[in-house]
Amino acid sequence: MANMDSDSRHLLIPEGDHEVNPGPMNIQFDSSDIRSKRPFYIEPTNIVNVNDVIQRVSDHASAMNKRIHYYSRLTAPADRALIAPDHVVPAPEECYVYSPLGSAYKLQCYTEGYGKNTSLVTIFMIWNTMLGTSILSIPWGIKQAGFTTGMCVIMLMGLLTLYCCYRVVKSRSMISSVDTTTWEYPDVCRYYFGSFGQWSSLLFSLVSLIGAMIVYWVLMSNFLFNTGKFIFNFIHHINDTDTIPSTNDSDPVICPSARSSGHPDNSSMIFYASDSELQQFEKWWNKSKTVPFYLIGLLLPLLNFKSPSFFSKFNILGTVSVLYLIFLVTWKAIRLGFHLEFHWFTPTEFFVPEIRFQFPQLTGVLTLAFFIHNCIITLLKNNKNQENNVRDLSIAYMLVTLTYLYIGVLVFASFPSPPLSKDCIEQNFLDNFPSSDILSFIARIFLLFQMMTVYPLLGYLARVQLLGHVFGDVYPRYSGAACGLAFVFIYPSLIYIISLYQEERLTWPKLILHVFIIILGLANLIVQFFM
Amino acid sequence: MEESDSEKKMEKENLGPRMDPPIGEPEGSLGWVLPNTAMKKKVLLMGKSGSGKTSMRSIIFANYIARDTRRLGATIDVEHSHVRFLGNLVLNLWDCGGQDTFMENYFTSQRDNIFRNVEVLIYVFDVESRELEKDMHYYQSCLEAILQNSPDAKIFCLLHKMDLVQEDQRDLIFKEREEDLRRLSRPLECSCFRTSIWDETLYKAWSSIVYQLIPNVQQLEMNLRNFAEIIEADEVLLFERATFLVISHYQCKEQRDAHRFEKISNIIKQFKLSCSKLAASFQSMEVRNSNFAAFIDIFTSNTYVMVVMSDPSIPSAATLINIRNARKHFEKLERVDGPKQCLLMR
Repeated sequence: MANMDSDSRHLLIPEGDHEVNPGPMNIQFDSSDIRSKRPFYIEPTNIVNVNDVIQRVSDHASAMNKRIHYYSRLTAPADRALIAPDHVVPAPEECYVYSPLGSAYKLQCYTEGYGKNTSLVTIFMIWNTMLGTSILSIPWGIKQAGFTTGMCVIMLMGLLTLYCCYRVVKSRSMISSVDTTTWEYPDVCRYYFGSFGQWSSLLFSLVSLIGAMIVYWVLMSNFLFNTGKFIFNFIHHINDTDTIPSTNDSDPVICPSARSSGHPDNSSMIFYASDSELQQFEKWWNKSKTVPFYLIGLLLPLLNFKSPSFFSKFNILGTVSVLYLIFLVTWKAIRLGFHLEFHWFTPTEFFVPEIRFQFPQLTGVLTLAFFIHNCIITLLKNNKNQENNVRDLSIAYMLVTLTYLYIGVLVFASFPSPPLSKDCIEQNFLDNFPSSDILSFIARIFLLFQMMTVYPLLGYLARVQLLGHVFGDVYPRYSGAACGLAFVFIYPSLIYIISLYQEERLTWPKLILHVFIIILGLANLIVQFFM
Repeated sequence: MEESDSEKKMEKENLGPRMDPPIGEPEGSLGWVLPNTAMKKKVLLMGKSGSGKTSMRSIIFANYIARDTRRLGATIDVEHSHVRFLGNLVLNLWDCGGQDTFMENYFTSQRDNIFRNVEVLIYVFDVESRELEKDMHYYQSCLEAILQNSPDAKIFCLLHKMDLVQEDQRDLIFKEREEDLRRLSRPLECSCFRTSIWDETLYKAWSSIVYQLIPNVQQLEMNLRNFAEIIEADEVLLFERATFLVISHYQCKEQRDAHRFEKISNIIKQFKLSCSKLAASFQSMEVRNSNFAAFIDIFTSNTYVMVVMSDPSIPSAATLINIRNARKHFEKLERVDGPKQCLLMR
């Protein structure tokens, strides 16, 4: 008897998560337990495959369907008894999606196995997701670090973040006891760190989502301001680059931060005869005082969309913006030519030394530039040939590194240094072009639109995470949002160490290497506050 | 509350137009006079708390679940369902061996009342249970009580929640437990089934139980076959009225879907639930299309019949007349057997 008891213990499949709390059960609140709303089969005559081949449903599935319908009538909607557990519901290949028009579709992706994206598509998606607004700050970062140091740091950071990303991808395979096929990285963190992992992940992601929203807001005000100024100047034929140090040729580059102290910070004063009209404009169209509020009027309606999927259609704008930026940078480099001088340790009037001690600012920018750790698992899940995951990930990282290097190096090298100092390179390199420059005006418009479509997505994610935190255990799924700096280095390494320790495969070299990575990550985070 | 009203209405429907005395009281208590001499026999559904009895009862008898089955405590009161089943049987649901000591005391003090006049004992074991010794102990004490009070009762053991066991292990585990139970039950004989509410095994087990409870089932099947051949039906099914469990059936050719009995039962029970919400009761149904015609109708006082004709050219009226005439014949058949043995008698 006792033997059988211990035997049966091994044989029993653990039942579903008993602790899932559905939250308040009222009509307005959607139950977070999707099991109670599982779609099911319909009559074979109504089933349409996307390839127009009529499918039959198995007898077993149809009997189960009737059973589940009947059982659901025996309980009240709020009552969770008699909900089908996962192990009895037919596999996804036998499930159909019911369309309100009366037909049912068997989803192609279920019939062909899990992923259907070729390697090329996967690589493109990773590249597309990773390239964000940090691209505008890379030249500035190179300037802060020094040219040679900058290039080396970019390549090293690319390698380091690639390794940590690889750890993230592999982290699920080290958990053998639980079914992890639907897990994202925060679930893995929760598995290892318990609720501390869950809450800290949540905290980090909230902090960085809100940080991202602030950054986006600032950039959008900037772009909107410059766009408005361009249009105004274009209509009234004003040339306003006179008082700001700039180059004197057909492709002007300005240095907005080097200004005489008499002028206020964020508006350019122009001496003109009839300037009452201008002053009115300056009063109502101020970069820091008024434009951010006009932005509210533009964005508030967008933020009220309930579902973000409408905006994900505009994803293509991001790719177009990046490609346009590459074109812009190439064009400017051709027109401006290269201006590079190598001084190793001493700054000169126009140039910066090759090695500077402000390089951690570049690493700070790059940590966010190379960030994709929170959604890489989902992105790679759709890869057709899963065994190529690591290869595709490396290729994608290499492409991203090349893109950043290209833009950063070209902007830095072509910055016209004899009249202007390299120190003039702004955190957003588009600021170095006057608002009258058409090419950069187009770039700003593209980026403005792109950010306006991503902003509601960020808002939705922040909202979902806050609500999930307040109302229940819905663990938020998010993608594309920047996460805390420590999350990129510390969690993957720590989890790898713990999982190795649990399997007793932890060796000293591995331990030291990963602890070193953790220390690097911490140092990276801390030093940002001192710069 | 709407649900309890409908539940009461449904139970009323099962009881028929008469009032029935409360069960468990021995004859001669406090003013209730039995309208007929046969005492209402009981079906005891027993098992440890949380083994799935309430769900099972709700599913088989199409009752609304009175409370959330994932509740914290055991079934607090005795579930006198007053569900009429196979004629004069009434279902009683008992929790055996819960942690509640009050429950245990009540159980031990009322033992004789509970186990008297039992026709069927259905004992439910939870296959997931970690306390096998305790389960067996409670089972044995129930058997002792049965031996003392109703030695003629039929014993059925259900090994429940088998869906939680991996498929390749199910037969093995079931065989082991069946051997143990058979051994423990001596001198009484028990039949064992493995069940789960998530597949057809529950329905099949209860159908087998019902089948074993009918004394003249072979004769019934022969008559059903004759009936089917006369009216040229593809398939004829006889359902028990309250639960739509298939008592017997006849088919003239192989049917594709092996799960069809349970599906029909679930569909009709679901329909009955909808009807009861409108305070209507289900009586008969005809389903017809270009390929077939199916008729579901009340047959005898405790059965429903379903006739499937694959020749749609035969008019409905003809089949309905045939069913009506057959009804008289089958009712006569029921009354032929003695009042004590036949369970299908009022």
